[in-house]
Amino acid sequence: MPWPASEPAQCLGADAEWLVVVGGGGLIDEAKAFRESRPGLKLVAIPSIWGSGAEASPIIVLSRAGRKKIKINPSARPDAVVYWPDLSKSVPAERQRAACGDCWAHALEGFLSPLASPGLRDALAQVIRRLLALPLSYDPQWFELSALACAGQSLAGVGLVHGIAHTLEVPLREQQPERDWHHARLCSTFLDPVMRLNQAGSDKWNQLLTEHRLPETGIWMILRALFEPDSFRAALPVLRQEWRGVLRDPCSRTNSVLVRPDWLERFENPPLP
Amino acid sequence: MENREKLKKVVEDVFLLQPGEFRFDLRRDEVETWDSFGIVSLAVGIHEAFGCHFTPAEAVGINSVADIIRLLSTKGFEFDN
Repeated sequence: MPWPASEPAQCLGADAEWLVVVGGGGLIDEAKAFRESRPGLKLVAIPSIWGSGAEASPIIVLSRAGRKKIKINPSARPDAVVYWPDLSKSVPAERQRAACGDCWAHALEGFLSPLASPGLRDALAQVIRRLLALPLSYDPQWFELSALACAGQSLAGVGLVHGIAHTLEVPLREQQPERDWHHARLCSTFLDPVMRLNQAGSDKWNQLLTEHRLPETGIWMILRALFEPDSFRAALPVLRQEWRGVLRDPCSRTNSVLVRPDWLERFENPPLP
Repeated sequence: MENREKLKKVVEDVFLLQPGEFRFDLRRDEVETWDSFGIVSLAVGIHEAFGCHFTPAEAVGINSVADIIRLLSTKGFEFDN
């Protein structure tokens, strides 16, 4: 559903007390932002797909003037969340798989973040263990785990996967309208290559996985299953074009490993496991 | 690579400096990207290059390249002029 369906100020009466949003992360974030201009308005979120965890996060990501704008407002979380997993059964399988990648990106980047406390890392390690047991398709547990992963990353920050997704989404939509580019798909596509660069760039990946007894092989299998080679190849020219913006993105700058300017060349030939 | 060169490379990469922009007397207020995210990134880069951690208080208290050198010197790294 496009947002706004009509001008929100016109379609919502001045005396409205509740706003109910049913949709994905982008729509829920728009509703969170709209509610900021209407103190007292109660917000109910009903996510129609898992992955973003926007219903559980104080972070608001908006597309404005061709760029992604990120705000953090502790009071932005909806007043109530209704989980209705059946809504997502009609979502195409490809979109479901990408939603899994979005959730995995939150969990892994939050877990690896230099800003994650030991307690938060323990909690996200538990989320990752549970994620490993889920299929990359519909399962009602995705909603709970996406909310937990998103709440975790909102405390620790994310990394280069999100720096790329936030920077490339708008130009990719403009330059490749025939491809259905969206945030979750970008996260899915770049999660494996970025994690390989993280692993090659520092011993932190191996150390943290060992310390938290996370099965490295199982994680790589999931990341490889999420990887979309055609999408990756299609995105590379835009990544080259937008690389400076990726480096300056706040998410890239809290990556677990320092993202150096020459990393762009490594995307051409990502290290093998 | 000697420590001065290692530090120069880290600072250039962390703050996305253009060639020729780096100076050993560079101050935080001269670098647009030396913000709160830059502080996190600097701590990560220093750890990767020198293998030592900055505490949050140490990282936030750094206001110049000279401060980084002073801090690393207290941790046993030598920076000969």
